[in-house]
Amino acid sequence: MREVLNYGLLFAGLGLLVLTVASFWIPRILGWKEKLADLSPLMRELFWTYAAYILASHLFFAILSLGFRDWLLSASPAAAAMSGFICFWWSVRVYLQFFGFDLAEVKDTRFNRLAKHLLTLLFLYLMTFFAIMVWWNLGGGG
Amino acid sequence: MNAEYTIILLRLAGLICVGLAVANFVVAPRLGYARSLAGAEKLVRQIFYVHCGYIVMLISGLAILCLGWPHLFLEGGMSKVVSGFFTVFWASRVVVQLTYYDSEYRRRERFWDVFFLMVFFTLTLVFGAVFLFER
Repeated sequence: MREVLNYGLLFAGLGLLVLTVASFWIPRILGWKEKLADLSPLMRELFWTYAAYILASHLFFAILSLGFRDWLLSASPAAAAMSGFICFWWSVRVYLQFFGFDLAEVKDTRFNRLAKHLLTLLFLYLMTFFAIMVWWNLGGGG
Repeated sequence: MNAEYTIILLRLAGLICVGLAVANFVVAPRLGYARSLAGAEKLVRQIFYVHCGYIVMLISGLAILCLGWPHLFLEGGMSKVVSGFFTVFWASRVVVQLTYYDSEYRRRERFWDVFFLMVFFTLTLVFGAVFLFER
């Protein structure tokens, strides 16, 4: 089981890394620069700052999943807490993906549809996998 | 660093984070988020509020960890990885405030500008100390 989870973490880390890199294209695809032009300077700065911190958090999760797998699989309370937090993070994102965001304003191109489905799959995977990690770290592996 | 002092420092950081999480709800009406975003597209508004929510979630998670289980920061792996991340997180917040945020607005709100700079700087010092001095 540990071996499977180890590969699962590797896959999660790679997925998060791809998400982090791909996130640099999101402002262009969604036209943030033009759409934020009418906001006050402070609101624009807050928008970009918050986006950067969310990106940094995804990178942090990627680094944890790729570089600290032994620790995340250590069946310790700390590892359970971290896995639980990451699971909660992606559960909220899955909820938003299905019930939160109004994507009607995004151009309906084949590329955008594919990107949306891939992102949904990634979020579902991360939510489910880190839920399993919580179970493992709370002693579920026996 | 003495483990007892580290735990006291982390609990202090936890209290500061509780304050920051609550402050986010006070800042929203004060800076007029709703009014400023009224003319923006719906998706832009949603993304902004979702990002705000995630920032509050992150700070609240850190507060819970620091107040409830500060000893987890004293365990090898956890201590280094998480304290390292939050040292960079808060240090960069100081830099962002000093170099990126609207200087005119900062001048108008000088008290809160200095106050939050001190808060972020304190958090940088606490997590930096945990990162550097804990095993």
